Amino acid sequence: MMPDFDQEGKGETQAWRPDLSAPAVLLEGVSKSYGRIFALSNITMALNGGVTGVLGMNGAGKSTMFKLLMGKLKPSQGKVRLFGTDPWKNPAPYARVGFVPEHEKMYDWMTAHQFVSTFARLNGLTRAEAMLEADRVLNFVGLADVAHKKIGQYSKGMRQRAKIAHALVNDPELIILDEPLQGCDPLARTTIMNVIRELGRMGRTVIVSSHILQEIERITEQIVILHNGRLLALGNLHAIREKLDQIPHRITIEADDAKALAKDVIDMDEVYGISFPDNKNLSIQTHNLGAIHAQLPAAIVNNGHRIHTIDNPDDDLASILGYLTSGGGL
Amino acid sequence: MMEAKPNTIYRALDRKAAAITEFTMRQYRTKASTWVVLGVGLVAISLVMLIYVDVMSTGFESIDNDGDSEDPDGDGYPTGQENKYGTDPYMATSNPGLLTPSIEPEPASNYIDEDGFDISISGTAATQSTGYDDDGDCRESDRTNSQKDTNGNGIVCDIELRYNQYQGDWNIDSDRYVDEDPDDAAYAAEATHMAFVLGIGKMGFVLLLGMFLPLFLATGLIREEMNDGTMHFMLAKPIARTEVFLYRILGYLGIVWPYFIAIGLLFALISGFIGPSDSFFRFQDLGVWLAIIFATMMASFVYGMLFCALGTMWRFGIVLAIPFAAWELGMCIVSMGAPEAAILRFSVIGWALMIVDAAAVIVWPNMELFILQGRTMDDFGLIWSTSNALNFFYSEPGVGGSGLVSAVVATVILLVQGAVFWFVGGAIFKGKEIE
Repeated sequence: MMPDFDQEGKGETQAWRPDLSAPAVLLEGVSKSYGRIFALSNITMALNGGVTGVLGMNGAGKSTMFKLLMGKLKPSQGKVRLFGTDPWKNPAPYARVGFVPEHEKMYDWMTAHQFVSTFARLNGLTRAEAMLEADRVLNFVGLADVAHKKIGQYSKGMRQRAKIAHALVNDPELIILDEPLQGCDPLARTTIMNVIRELGRMGRTVIVSSHILQEIERITEQIVILHNGRLLALGNLHAIREKLDQIPHRITIEADDAKALAKDVIDMDEVYGISFPDNKNLSIQTHNLGAIHAQLPAAIVNNGHRIHTIDNPDDDLASILGYLTSGGGL
Repeated sequence: MMEAKPNTIYRALDRKAAAITEFTMRQYRTKASTWVVLGVGLVAISLVMLIYVDVMSTGFESIDNDGDSEDPDGDGYPTGQENKYGTDPYMATSNPGLLTPSIEPEPASNYIDEDGFDISISGTAATQSTGYDDDGDCRESDRTNSQKDTNGNGIVCDIELRYNQYQGDWNIDSDRYVDEDPDDAAYAAEATHMAFVLGIGKMGFVLLLGMFLPLFLATGLIREEMNDGTMHFMLAKPIARTEVFLYRILGYLGIVWPYFIAIGLLFALISGFIGPSDSFFRFQDLGVWLAIIFATMMASFVYGMLFCALGTMWRFGIVLAIPFAAWELGMCIVSMGAPEAAILRFSVIGWALMIVDAAAVIVWPNMELFILQGRTMDDFGLIWSTSNALNFFYSEPGVGGSGLVSAVVATVILLVQGAVFWFVGGAIFKGKEIE
């Protein structure tokens, strides 16, 4: 019998076999408390596939949840599972996970290529393999041309992308990004959003956190809302929006003649109140944001009003949270 | 994606170890604090070296222990020469110049250190009788055998070594006129040299470098990364925290061990050329120097594990490390005076210094007698004081047995200590929540 000459690269021993039936992320009744303060309380959810946005104000518990998932924190109560394994006890599932921490501090003395390839070797890659892998992921996040510059010379957006590249080594099935857009300029923001969407299209499970609704909206429709450590909502952003359309809303319009504009607006069915915060501004109260936005342009143009801004001061995370926490529910 | 080749779990371990070790070494190199600590260590130990070089190049002034170089009657002939020819050293009209044939006066320096030391550090103490009457004044033919054998051991003109089994040391009893004016300068140079090698080895290398370098370099190995949040980059990969702990230590050793070896060899070379020797270089000392380097490496390994564990345990781990360092300093002093003290078994430095002691016993087997010979001079002069200095730094390994056995035992215990601190540190690190 001929000996098997092609053994190279066909490892039989594998320290850890993934549980293929388990969801990527599973939290069951998870709480995390520091003394009497609950950073997370009784979170239950399972995520598998697609891009999920985790929304919450600063201190809502987003980072705490991610650190629990990455086995950096130990849950006070409940069960955390990463591919069916307890990440606090077993680092093996990290082979399938990429993590972008929120911390801004990086190894400024390294080049992005050194940074990515050094830690790629912790996945068991050889030096040469790690170099190729670093080339691949840095190219993916659009840092190929500056890969051999020191991280210390990078802009905020480039640093975030280097962190994402670090997380993408070994082609993980689950990528967790903690505030990846924070502090980035618009161009970097767009690039990073494209990278995240691309990962979603590639079939990866992506969890990305932000405190800005508009950012998450541009990335995904599937969202999780955290507030004061509690899970407020989990579902499709559109469903949440529709509910929001039924709750009291304000539209603020800055116009040359706010009083004249008010006369034309007051006749609309959906407007139930008007006020003037100051001479230039008109504030409209409504239950149906969508209907007002549909009629407003005609009312302005037909009557020849000159306006400067139209703003929905409530249409942000704070108002959603305000509504959800005031007992509205979804 | 590329196919990784972790054909065996061990190969994957190698790769991780190499990655973190390399990373840690590069990280050290980029930090100014590393160079400051290494530089201060080098300057501090070089100052001690300069003192040694100064002492050795100045030399030692010999003392005429028996006073026979003097010329009390002023006839130009030193007492020793007059004694030799039987004239009266106190009477100017009696001197060897009046004999036939007439004898020319000898210079006084011929009668200083005219009788050398006969107990050598590299000899053995197996024979109970040693010594040689170099200047021949004991073996004068007109002296009776009882005059030549004042110690009464039946051998004329010798030094009797008597082992006192109750006190566990040697009594030295020489016949009159044997080694009565030993070579102070030679003894002082030899004793000072050995005291220096042992002193700088124990206090300078093992204690100062072996403990203070880890104190400043290893305490933050894990802690600083945890504080900065950069630990997430390492721990987001499939690697156990105990592994990270070990590999970080390996990276630290990759910096400090070459440093110890380089400085140790440099000092061995300098002291080897400057130290007193029959040939151009003191080759025999190399064994002691290698033991000093090895003991320093072992100490820095154990201390590194310990201090890194303390740093991991608490944000201000260095505060915990300082009382421990003070304890070790005390133990270092204790080991010089009482190497057999049981309390030393509860220290790191006690075992590390035992390696140096073991090497000294092997390389300088007759050290005990050499020191004793100097201390029995009772003249509180050069020989006595250098002998005391040497006695302070030299100690027999406290566990008994031969030098080699002591060295092996000490090394094994240091390895066990390091492993225990690794497990403890790893366990602490495992239980730490990382913000």
